[in-house]
Amino acid sequence: MKTKEDFPSINERKPEGLSPEGTPFRVLIVDDSMFVAKQIAQILGSEGYDVVGQAADGLQGLERYKELYPNVDLVTMDITMPNMDGITALQKIIEFDKNAKVIMISALGKQDLVKQALLTGAKNYIVKPLDRKKVLERISQVLKK
Amino acid sequence: MRVEYINPFVESAFNVMKEVLQGDIKRGELYLKATSMPVMGVAAIVGLAGDVEGRVLFDMEKVTALRIASAMNGEELKSLDDLAKATITELANMITAQAVTKLHELGFRFDLTPPAIFTGDNMEISNQNVEALIVPMETGHGKVEINVAIRERA
Amino acid sequence: MSTQTAEKNSLEQLSNGKKDKADKIDFKMVSFSLAGKEYGIDIMNVKEIAKAGNFTYVPNAAPFVRGVYNLRGDIISIIDLRTMFHLPAERKSDDALESLLILKIGEQAFGVIVDNIDKVIGVSKEGIQPPHPIFGDINIKYIKGIIENQNKLYIILNVEKLFAPKEEEKPGRTDLVKEASVKMPKIGLGGPADDALERSMDVNADFIKETLFSFRNFAVSKVNINWFNRRYNEWKAQRKPTDLQLRELAEADAFLEPFYSPFTGALWSAEYMSALGGIMPAIATKSINVWNPGCGKGYESYSLAVLLKKMYPEARAKIWANDSDLLAISMAPNMVFGAEGISQDHLDFMIKNRNGFVFNQAIRDSIYFEFHDVINNNPIPPADLILCRDTLSFLSAGNQTKLLTDFNEKSRQGCILILGKNEVMPLDNWRRIEGPSLSLYVKAD
Repeated sequence: MKTKEDFPSINERKPEGLSPEGTPFRVLIVDDSMFVAKQIAQILGSEGYDVVGQAADGLQGLERYKELYPNVDLVTMDITMPNMDGITALQKIIEFDKNAKVIMISALGKQDLVKQALLTGAKNYIVKPLDRKKVLERISQVLKK
Repeated sequence: MRVEYINPFVESAFNVMKEVLQGDIKRGELYLKATSMPVMGVAAIVGLAGDVEGRVLFDMEKVTALRIASAMNGEELKSLDDLAKATITELANMITAQAVTKLHELGFRFDLTPPAIFTGDNMEISNQNVEALIVPMETGHGKVEINVAIRERA
Repeated sequence: MSTQTAEKNSLEQLSNGKKDKADKIDFKMVSFSLAGKEYGIDIMNVKEIAKAGNFTYVPNAAPFVRGVYNLRGDIISIIDLRTMFHLPAERKSDDALESLLILKIGEQAFGVIVDNIDKVIGVSKEGIQPPHPIFGDINIKYIKGIIENQNKLYIILNVEKLFAPKEEEKPGRTDLVKEASVKMPKIGLGGPADDALERSMDVNADFIKETLFSFRNFAVSKVNINWFNRRYNEWKAQRKPTDLQLRELAEADAFLEPFYSPFTGALWSAEYMSALGGIMPAIATKSINVWNPGCGKGYESYSLAVLLKKMYPEARAKIWANDSDLLAISMAPNMVFGAEGISQDHLDFMIKNRNGFVFNQAIRDSIYFEFHDVINNNPIPPADLILCRDTLSFLSAGNQTKLLTDFNEKSRQGCILILGKNEVMPLDNWRRIEGPSLSLYVKAD
């Protein structure tokens, strides 16, 4: 969906996807839904984030994280996925890197799982349907911490 | 199907479609349907578990599915490829999940199983004569029939 | 010019000569309307059309015989096709003019009253399709076929069969009316040929049955035939012989009025509750499964829940209450009552909130209100009690049988069945227990 934010405004502001040093934040997207993954990639890409990897299930996500480490700043993690669910993948990523910044993507109706994820070490969560504002807000909050 | 389950599905279908399709959404008259159901061409299914057993089926014509997927992706999709299918699946998932959340608030315990999508001509879903509630939705991209069959675990 | 003709020919060939057939006119009919539907009668049977009124009333004739009329010296009987087919008809004053088709069948002339006479239509015989069961308003025997003409469907009546003189009877003028009433029983059930009066009553009863079904979906069957026969005799005693038929919804409702069980659409009174509690056999189980098909707005489901809670405070009752009327059932889970008119039995299980009185959580939790049609699959656990008042009678005969079979299959031994006060259980493995205004059965071992 195109919004006016896709176009540069007159008052230049620094894109949210850039770190204080001016390099883009590097994001790994773990989601079994192609549509959701594409949606997140589009939103993040438009703000200057660098999507460095995508994975379609928890197991792949864990492997990609290990490959990319330490050149990855953030993971978006779906909860319900085949092979390995998002909570387990989160747990294993935290075991591997206790400072990992993982943000959960959840459909409504999974409150219990979201709570469990937050207890396990997820930094925040976003409930679908995703909208641009919500996604960018939550992600920049996590990266500022 | 228990009366309390009806509104959450009707409302969340309406709300989610309005949000992601940003058009005029109209709901048709609700009715009950039994026996095996012919499917219009594309059917996304989300299973339900917990206090109940059942499933929610989103049924639409191929052209409607393509138009909806195009609108949701903000680009015109030419064929019902993996991305288009994933988009419709996600729509089904979001609607069902929102309904289930409302049901949680009312004190009913439902769980979702991951959605699946089927396409093809002259499809028929046979379900041992389970009665289903039909919620017809007119989306501006075409008609989507939401077919909800839920029964209590005895 | 010649090219055009050539094109036309080739088009006709392309359409497989269908067009040729449709163009051939070998059947002419006079079209007219009855209750908004279009009909036709073979023009060979129509002698003339006329407007007439002031028919001479003939006592003891069948209700569709409006009287006799002097048509230029010939006395003909006048038959109201709408009454005969039991269709609604505007009641005009006696001297108003009616549209008449004067029919000639064999040697005999009849005047037939219809709503409006339209025109003469020429069609092709090949276009006439055999009658489809969907045209159920009129007994199919009397339909020659259906034809489409300029986007309208016409039902072509077989007047020979409809008015055929019985065998070789010689119709003397004074016998005309009697003869009409003798012939009429051909519509509906056959009966002993010699008892004309008796049979025309059967026809009246049959018409009433059909009307009750089309107006209110009330189907006469073994479940309610006793009541129907009683009610029909009562009705006959109250009405003029020419005025037996149910012409509109209000009349169908008047006929059905005494059928309904007490406290339909209301909570049960203390008396009704104790009467029922008094004759109900004891339920031994600690978890009581109840099936309540056709619960409507849910009043009776609540009353039954209260009764069971009073009788068996220790038991856990689960009531599966369902109805196919979405509007009625959707209000059921959250019903709010004013205090007046509610018996203490109910009030004991209610709490007051800011809107009024509502049933307490224990009662509400014991009822599952479902939007459900009993003619579909009924996924019900084996029942200890079935409450089904005035529901069976409003299903088609076939669906009544299906639901009764379900009652049999989805119930435990000793299951209690409560039907409407004028309904009976036709299956003989259910034993009746007598009670005032109640129809109660127990499933025998």
